[in-house]
Amino acid sequence: MAKWGMVIDLEKCVGCQACTIACGMENTRLPGEHWQDVIFFQEGTYPNTELKWFPRPCMHCENPSCVAVCPTRATYKTEEGQVLVDWERCIGCKYCMIACPYGVRFYTEEAPRYGGPDLKAVFPAADAHSWSPPWKAPQEDWKHGVGVQPHDVVSKCTFCYHRVSKAPKGTADLDPSNPVMREYTPACVVACSPGARFFGDLSNPNSEVNKQIANKNGVRLLDHLGNRPQVYYLTGVGGAIPNTHTTKA
Amino acid sequence: MTDLSIHTGLTRRRFLQATGAAGALGAAGLSFDAANGLTLQKVHAQPAAGPAGQTVITKSFCAQCPARCGIDVYTTNGRVHAIYGTLDNPLAGGKLCPKGHYGVYLLYDADRIKGPMKRTNPKKGRDEDPKFVPISWDEALQTVADRLNALREKGESHRYATITGRGWGYTDVGLLKQFGQLYGTPNFNLGHSSICSDASETVKHIMDGHHAYSAYDYSNCNYLLVFGAGFLESFRPFTGNMRNWGIMRSKAPKTKVTVVDVHLNTTGSAADRLLLTKPGTDGALALAMAHVILSEGLWDRQFVGDFVPVEQPKDADAPRLPEHKFEPGKEVDPATFKEIWTVGVAEWWNVELKDRTPEWAEKITTVPARDIAAVAREFALTKPAVALFERGASAHTNGVYNGMAIHALNALTGNMFAKGGLRGYQMKTAWAKLPIKAEDFMDDYAKAPERKKPRVDGAKSKRYPLAKNMIQEIAINSLKGEPYKLDTVMFYMTGPIFSAPDCSKWEEALRQIFVIDTSPYPGETNRFADLILPDNTYLERLQIADTYPYEGYPISMIRTPAVKPIFDTKTFGDAVIEIGKRIKGPTSEYYKKIGNTENIVKWMCEGFKDKPGDNGVTDFETFAQKGVWYRKPYAYLQERGVFYEWDGKGYNKVMTPEEVKAKVMPTPTGKFEIKVTELEHHAEFVHERLGIAPERAPFPQWVAPRHGGDGDLHFISPKLAGQAEGRSANLPHVAAMIQPTQGGKRNVFLEMHPEAAGKRGIKDGDRVRIKNKVGKIEAIVRVTHTTRPDTVALPMIHGHWAQGRWAQGAGRLPTGSTNEVTENLSEPLSGLACFHSGLVSVEKV
Repeated sequence: MAKWGMVIDLEKCVGCQACTIACGMENTRLPGEHWQDVIFFQEGTYPNTELKWFPRPCMHCENPSCVAVCPTRATYKTEEGQVLVDWERCIGCKYCMIACPYGVRFYTEEAPRYGGPDLKAVFPAADAHSWSPPWKAPQEDWKHGVGVQPHDVVSKCTFCYHRVSKAPKGTADLDPSNPVMREYTPACVVACSPGARFFGDLSNPNSEVNKQIANKNGVRLLDHLGNRPQVYYLTGVGGAIPNTHTTKA
Repeated sequence: MTDLSIHTGLTRRRFLQATGAAGALGAAGLSFDAANGLTLQKVHAQPAAGPAGQTVITKSFCAQCPARCGIDVYTTNGRVHAIYGTLDNPLAGGKLCPKGHYGVYLLYDADRIKGPMKRTNPKKGRDEDPKFVPISWDEALQTVADRLNALREKGESHRYATITGRGWGYTDVGLLKQFGQLYGTPNFNLGHSSICSDASETVKHIMDGHHAYSAYDYSNCNYLLVFGAGFLESFRPFTGNMRNWGIMRSKAPKTKVTVVDVHLNTTGSAADRLLLTKPGTDGALALAMAHVILSEGLWDRQFVGDFVPVEQPKDADAPRLPEHKFEPGKEVDPATFKEIWTVGVAEWWNVELKDRTPEWAEKITTVPARDIAAVAREFALTKPAVALFERGASAHTNGVYNGMAIHALNALTGNMFAKGGLRGYQMKTAWAKLPIKAEDFMDDYAKAPERKKPRVDGAKSKRYPLAKNMIQEIAINSLKGEPYKLDTVMFYMTGPIFSAPDCSKWEEALRQIFVIDTSPYPGETNRFADLILPDNTYLERLQIADTYPYEGYPISMIRTPAVKPIFDTKTFGDAVIEIGKRIKGPTSEYYKKIGNTENIVKWMCEGFKDKPGDNGVTDFETFAQKGVWYRKPYAYLQERGVFYEWDGKGYNKVMTPEEVKAKVMPTPTGKFEIKVTELEHHAEFVHERLGIAPERAPFPQWVAPRHGGDGDLHFISPKLAGQAEGRSANLPHVAAMIQPTQGGKRNVFLEMHPEAAGKRGIKDGDRVRIKNKVGKIEAIVRVTHTTRPDTVALPMIHGHWAQGRWAQGAGRLPTGSTNEVTENLSEPLSGLACFHSGLVSVEKV
C-alpha cells in the first residue's frame, strides 16, 4: 500500500502559479477556489527588499485536524494517505475549515470575491451540481470529493485522487516526464515548469520523494502542531517557509 | 479505507447551535444515536453519470504569448477540459506556464462573439452601443470586398490597411503580403512590433547581423545577467525560462543570477542579486561594467583580441617598457589593439568607455559603484555567461544605445555563439514552397507605379528609417492625412486603441475609418467597429507556425482543431482568402487556386519528406499526430575564438571568416560590430534625433533618456506572469491570481513606495489619480517596498472599458489603460514606444 506524499523544492519554485491554474483547470474549480495556492509576502526595506512566496496544497496530514472535527465523518483519510471529503455526507458546517491549520479548505456558497458576475449563475447546473461550466472535467466521484461539488459542501485538494488512484500498484515515483506515469501524476506536479514538485510513495525508502527529503533536509509546515503533513518542503538557499512558531510577547 | 472514527465530543444541541444547521439536518435525514454518535444517510446524492466518453488528446500550440509551446488538448464528449504541455515538444518539455492552461476558459468565454455582425448605430464612442446585428458570412465578406473593390476603382487601394498583432505565420499574417501585392496597398501588414520589443531586435541587427530575438543556452550557462526583462514573469519563452531556471539553480555549478530592474518582481527576488536602477539608466550600468572588464584586463582575448606586445629593448639590462593596457581616463592607440571577431573595441574605449567608471555610473543610476564593479568581475570571470535585456532597458528614448552597451558585454566576454552563452539565432524549418506565385496574378492596376505609396505608419520613412513598424503613428498620421487618411482598416489580434501609447487618439481616428474587427471577443476595437468577422479561437483552428527562438535549431508546430468551431466563426486566414476571391480581376483567380488555409498547411508539410523531424515527422499526418517537427542541433558553435559548423557528427568543420560572415555574423564587416556600420551610415540622423556628435554615433554610449509625460514620479507598466497577451483580462480565474506579489486577487494595484505615498498623504488601499499632460486614470494604491521611491508601477492591460463583463471592474481595477497616461514617444532608431520612462503625478482622489 502506497503512502502518497509530495515534496516542493522552494529553491526552484518561481512563484508563477501554474500549479494554481492547472489545479483549477484539472479539477474544475471556481475562480479563487485555490486548492493549490501560492502565498506571497514582502520583507525588507528598499533597496534591500525581497518577495517571498510559498506554494501551498493540502498537506494531507497523517494526523489531520479536519478529520478529527468532522461531525459526519465526511472528511476521512484513505489507506493511501489522501485526506478527502465525501460530498454525499458533507453538510457544509465548516468545522474542518476552522480546524485546519493550513487554510486549505473551501466553501464556495458565499458571493464570489473575484469580481464580475458569479460564474455559478452564468453556468448553472440542471441537477444537484453547484454549477456546470462547459469546461467541466469528465471525472466525477463524490465519495472522494472529485468532480464538481454539490451545493453547501466543503471542497479541498484531493492530491488528484482521480489520477493517482489509477497508478499501477507498487509505483514509487509519479514523474510527469515519464510518459507511462504522466497521466497518473497530480496536475500541479505535471504543470510545474522548473520541476519544483515531486510526488511519490513515502513508504518506499527508494522513492524520489524520500531521496529529496533525506538529501535536502525536507521540512514540514507548522510541524510543531503534530499534524505530520505528507507534504515536505526543501528550503535550500533562497527558499523560505513561514515561521513555524508563533511568538508571544 | 481506514476507519478514523473519532469521538467528536459534541452533543447534538451544541452541534446544532454551532452550525445553525438544524433545518439542513432534518431535511437530510441526519439522526443522532447515543451509542454511535452521528449517523448520516446521504445529504447529497451524486447524479447518475451519462455515458462515459472517450478522452481524445489533440496536438496544438499555445496562443497566450509569442513562444508557442506545444500543447496536448484533452477533449471528452466534445468538450475541452484540460491543456498540458506536450512532452515531446522541445520548447514545452511537457510543461506550461500558468497562461498555457487558460485555453479552456478562452474557448468557452461567456462573452464570446457568436458570429459575423454589422454595426447599426452610426455614432461611435466609448459609451455608444454599436447596436450590432448578426449577418451571414457571405454578407460580411461581400461588404468588405465591395469596399475594397470601390477603393480600387477610385485608385485609392492604399487607403485599406490590415493592422496586426500576434500573427502565427504562413496561414494568417503570412498571407497578407500577397494580398497587398495583388490588391495594391503598402499597408497590407502594419505590425505591432514597435509597441512590443523592436529595440532588442534592432540592437542585434546592427551589432551581430540578425534582426531577430536571440537563442540562449541557459541550461549550460553559469552566469545570467538580466537587464529589464521579467525573466520569471514575462520574458519569452516563459515556460522555457522556468524549465531552465530549475536546471540552472540546481546544477553544479549553480548559475549565479544578477537582475537589474526598477522595481522588485519575482525575478529580482529569486536572483542572487538585484540592482534597482533608475528607469532608463541600464545602459550606464552596462558601460561601467564594460569599463571594468577592459580596465581590469578581464575581456576574452580569444574572441576579442589583444594589444600587440610592446617591443622591448634588446639590451636585457635596459628597463622594461610597460605593456599596453586600458587605463581609466587614458586613451589607447587603436593601432596597438589587434581584434579578432569584434570591430572597434579600442576606439570605443577612447570615445566613451575610458571615463565610464562605476563611480560615474553610480551618480546616474543610484546603484553603488562597488556592486557594479562586483557584477562586472563576476560576469567576465564566470563562463559561460549571458547578458540579456528587454523592454525595461530598451523602451526609452535611449533604448537602442542602452541595449548596445548590454549586448556588447556578450562579445567582450566571448559568449557570442558559445555553449552556455548567447547560442545564436533561429534556424529555418524545411517547409515546402507553395507552387502558386502571386506575381503571376498581378493586374496592371497592381503593377502600376502609382501603387508605390509610402506606408501610413511612417516605418522606413525619413523620420523612422530603420524602424520595422510604427503602429503608434497610424492614428495620428491618418487623422492628419499625412501621408493620407485611411478609409478601411481590418484589425487582427491587436487593439492599439487600448495598447498603443496615448491610446485615446485612436478613438478619434477610428470614428473616421470603416473598422473591421476580427477578434472573437468583445473589446475596445470592437466597440468602434463597423463590421465583425470573428476569428476561430486557437483551439478551433488548423494552423502551423515556427517557434519563438529557443535553442537555435528549427522547431515548428501545428494546431489541429480540438473541437469544431462552437460558434459561427471563421479562421482569419480563410476570411482573407474568401475576401480575395471576391476582389475583381486576377486576384480572385489566385485565391481560388489557393482555396483555403488547410491546402497551404498540407502543401508546406511536403518539405518534411526530405527533412524528417528528429521525432519521425515526415508529412502532414505524422505532424498532426506529434504536433511538432524539429531537427537538432544548432548548426554553429564558437569556442575559444574559433567558429565551427556541424558536419552531421559534431562541430568539426572550422569556418573561414567568409563563412562566418555569410552564415553566423552577417554584418557588413562579418564581425561583432561595437563600432556599428549601420550607425555610421545614419550618423547624421542620430545626430539630429539624439544630439550625438556624428563621429560618436556608431558606438554604444550613454545618452540621457528623455521622459515623456510630466510629473515627479516615473511610471512603469510591467507585464505580470499571469497576463496572457491581453485576452486574459476577462477571465475570472485569472483575476483571482493576477497580481499575487501585491495581494492582487481581485484588484490590480499601483505599487508605490512608502516615502512617495507619505509625502502625498496617500495610504495603502487609497484610490489615487495618476495623471500627466496626456491623460489621467484612477487606481488603488498598494504602499510597498517593492518599488523605488521615484517610481510607481501599474501592471499593463487592466482597466478595460469594453472587453467583457469580468474585465470591466469598476472600483476594483484601474479605470483605464496605462497607455492613457503614456506619451506617444518613440526610440528613434528602432521605433519602439517608450513605455517605461514616462513621468506622472499621483494624488489622492
